[in-house]
Amino acid sequence: MKVTVKSWTAVATWRWVANDDNCGICRMAFDGCCPDCKIPGDDCPLVWGQCSHCFHIHCIMKWLNSQQVHQQCPMCRQEWKFKE
Amino acid sequence: MAASSEEFGAAWKIIETSFSSSKKLDPAPPVISPLGLQSAVELLINHGIGHIIEEWFLEVMNADLQQRIAPNFLAYFSSSVPEDEIGNFMSKVIAELYDNLSAYIPKLGQLDEISMCISLPTPSSMDGLNTVLYNEKKSRQPAMERAQSIFKAMLLPQYQIPESLYANVQKFYSLTMRVHHTTDEADIKANNEDRDDECIRCTGCCCDTDNCQCQTLLHIFHQVNQQLYELGLLERFAGEAVTSVIHEKIQDYVQHTCKGNFESSYLSCLETWLETKVVGWLSEVYRGSEGCERYNDPNTATSVEAYKSRLYYLLYETYTVVRIDQLFNIIIEYPESEPAIVDLRCCLEKTNLRSQLVTSLKTALETRLLHPGVNTADILTAYISGIRALRVLDPTGVILELVCEPVRKYLRTRDDTVRCIVSSLTDDSSSDLADELVRGEPLLLDDSCQGEEDMANWETWYPDPVDADPTKTSKSRRSSDIISMLVNIYGSKELFVNEYRTLLADRILSQFNYDTEKEIRYLELLKLRFGEAQLHYCEVMLKDVADSKRINSLIHNGELQGHQSMDIPVNAMILSAQFWPTFREDKLELPAGIKSSLDAYTKNFETLKGNRTLCWKPHLGLVSLEIELKDRKVHISCSPVHATIIMHFQEKSKWTVDELSVIMHVPVSVLRHKMAFWQSQGLLKEESADTFILIEEGKGGRHDIHMIDIEEETESAMASSHDQREEELQVFWSYIVGMLTNLETLPLEKIHTMLKVFAMQGPSTGECSIQELKHFLDRKVKEQHLIYAGGVYRLPKPGS
Repeated sequence: MKVTVKSWTAVATWRWVANDDNCGICRMAFDGCCPDCKIPGDDCPLVWGQCSHCFHIHCIMKWLNSQQVHQQCPMCRQEWKFKE
Repeated sequence: MAASSEEFGAAWKIIETSFSSSKKLDPAPPVISPLGLQSAVELLINHGIGHIIEEWFLEVMNADLQQRIAPNFLAYFSSSVPEDEIGNFMSKVIAELYDNLSAYIPKLGQLDEISMCISLPTPSSMDGLNTVLYNEKKSRQPAMERAQSIFKAMLLPQYQIPESLYANVQKFYSLTMRVHHTTDEADIKANNEDRDDECIRCTGCCCDTDNCQCQTLLHIFHQVNQQLYELGLLERFAGEAVTSVIHEKIQDYVQHTCKGNFESSYLSCLETWLETKVVGWLSEVYRGSEGCERYNDPNTATSVEAYKSRLYYLLYETYTVVRIDQLFNIIIEYPESEPAIVDLRCCLEKTNLRSQLVTSLKTALETRLLHPGVNTADILTAYISGIRALRVLDPTGVILELVCEPVRKYLRTRDDTVRCIVSSLTDDSSSDLADELVRGEPLLLDDSCQGEEDMANWETWYPDPVDADPTKTSKSRRSSDIISMLVNIYGSKELFVNEYRTLLADRILSQFNYDTEKEIRYLELLKLRFGEAQLHYCEVMLKDVADSKRINSLIHNGELQGHQSMDIPVNAMILSAQFWPTFREDKLELPAGIKSSLDAYTKNFETLKGNRTLCWKPHLGLVSLEIELKDRKVHISCSPVHATIIMHFQEKSKWTVDELSVIMHVPVSVLRHKMAFWQSQGLLKEESADTFILIEEGKGGRHDIHMIDIEEETESAMASSHDQREEELQVFWSYIVGMLTNLETLPLEKIHTMLKVFAMQGPSTGECSIQELKHFLDRKVKEQHLIYAGGVYRLPKPGS
């Protein structure tokens, strides 16, 4: 007997490869979206800082915009720099 | 001018002879000249004793009635008379009575004339006593009326009437009514067609048609009525019988006409029937036929009119009762039965049967609908047409509210209610709810229309019926539509939306056709009802499907940098886990070839979407296989588990369930169940208990290629709502333990309030009713995680 697979439709869930489950700012799951967004994934991506902490991009931008003087990572208080 | 006693004696003699009933055994009464009588009467009047003539005469008549006429008359009615003789019988009895009494009647006229003379005495002779008498005379009834009340009292005494009298009278009238109707119809028939030969017996008199008695009976009928009328006995004698005959007739007719047909309106044709047939007959009884003397009497006309309005009421009442009895069926057949509902609405306005309607419909619903033998879907269908029908019946919605409360209560106890509603909402075939959805009005929940009454149209304002529930606004009753009412069964949108989400997930993960057009349309419709926010999750789900389709084609066209080729064409359904209902977590170890292909797909995905990766759900999916056996080729679509099983048989044609279980990481019991699929396909055979072998050659030698679709039994990819709920409540458990550690003991209500404050806030946690919580806590008590005593819960002491 020979079994040939013509097609295999599989089911998967996607997730961000991050060191935490929840965004440190909005406390929502990374795999969900920030409170301002409706659609997760491409529309509400994550960004990593050089301190290796990551957040929803909308969350960290809001945070950075609200900081008058020093732009620091809300988790470790180091200066925030986007990881390339 | 005093007269001697001899003069008085002579005068009295004249009066006595002239007034005494001629029927007495006096073959030739002496002829008394009118002049002689007049002078005799004048003599009495002039001496102020004129009134005794009338008293005396009535006394004589009374005695005659009592001794002779009444006993004879009543004796006739001592037994029941058969129907075919009743006509002649009545004719005879009434004619005899009439003969007896008619002897008195002309005399009564004379008496009246005498009273007239008495009542006009010369003014000069009026002293005090005479004035009193004069006034008395003025208010005195005519002799005829007095005589008639004596007839009534003597002939038909209130408490001594033999029962068979009424029975006989009723028989007579019911026969004559039938005859009357048939002759009416016969006239019409005769005009339309020639004689109907099939009809051997006349429907009126039940005699052979050649020997039809109808005309005779009609004649008797008129004669009897006329004679009774003249004696003033018609109402007393026939009234009750006529009424009951008519009641019976109306009931019969309504029952007979309206039975089982709800699709046409009967009200106007019933009214016409009543007007022409029944009132026509009634007026023949009381007024005689046109042209006869009493026909023009205004008294009889008004009494017939008064009777008529009572008959109309009776007709409406009877019709309403009939319709109320059938109301359940009427509702089931709505909208075909709309005319019946409209009729009923008209009748309800005229009768006082509203509460009867509510009780009877409630009972009908309970006995016919609300029991375990009826499918939830059927109950819902009935409920929906009930809503529609009762809205027409009572636009204020009060009846609906009263009647449907038990239905709602019952539906709440059924597990699959929500699922049924949601699936019929989005089902193509069942039009009712889907149509309703397409109409797309925003959902009105009970608590959302607490607003004030609309003041703009205060002039058209109408109070709610008395049986309305005063705690609810009339607007909430009037305006809520069917879907709102269905959702209000549970009173929460969340439950519905969650159920819809599960249903949608199931549909997507069982069809795998990436075609979401239809689902998007439904979603848009549902959004109109339930609002954007509630259905946001579903929107993301559908977007996942569309995205997956795009990602698949991107990966397959191989233009990615560092594209990893796959041995097996893999398509993926890539889901945003946060937005889907919880999945069933089953383990399955896929064959190595498949795994490597999936890994390659993951790699491609990671290239496509930086920083993201995939977690496969190996047990979900759809596999299309081509199986080449020695003598045949089989095409099969099946689930990954089935595919894995058969692929293992490639390496080895004999497996025990245990071996497969180890290699596939699937529990033995599940595996056995799955093997059955291949057994049914004729590819595997259970050689000995739990040992399966491959069948390479089909016994029947079928060489054609089989196309077999997915097996019938499709399991939900989602965790069952029950499991899901359990999990949700489990979330609360940690809160509860926390509370009880800090506060030691808490009553149920307190726990519920605290959970509401602390735990039931996120959109995903949903809500938990106090009953549900109690249930949950009770189970925890049973599992000895909790102690319940004195109305409060506490944690068991550690170590005890």
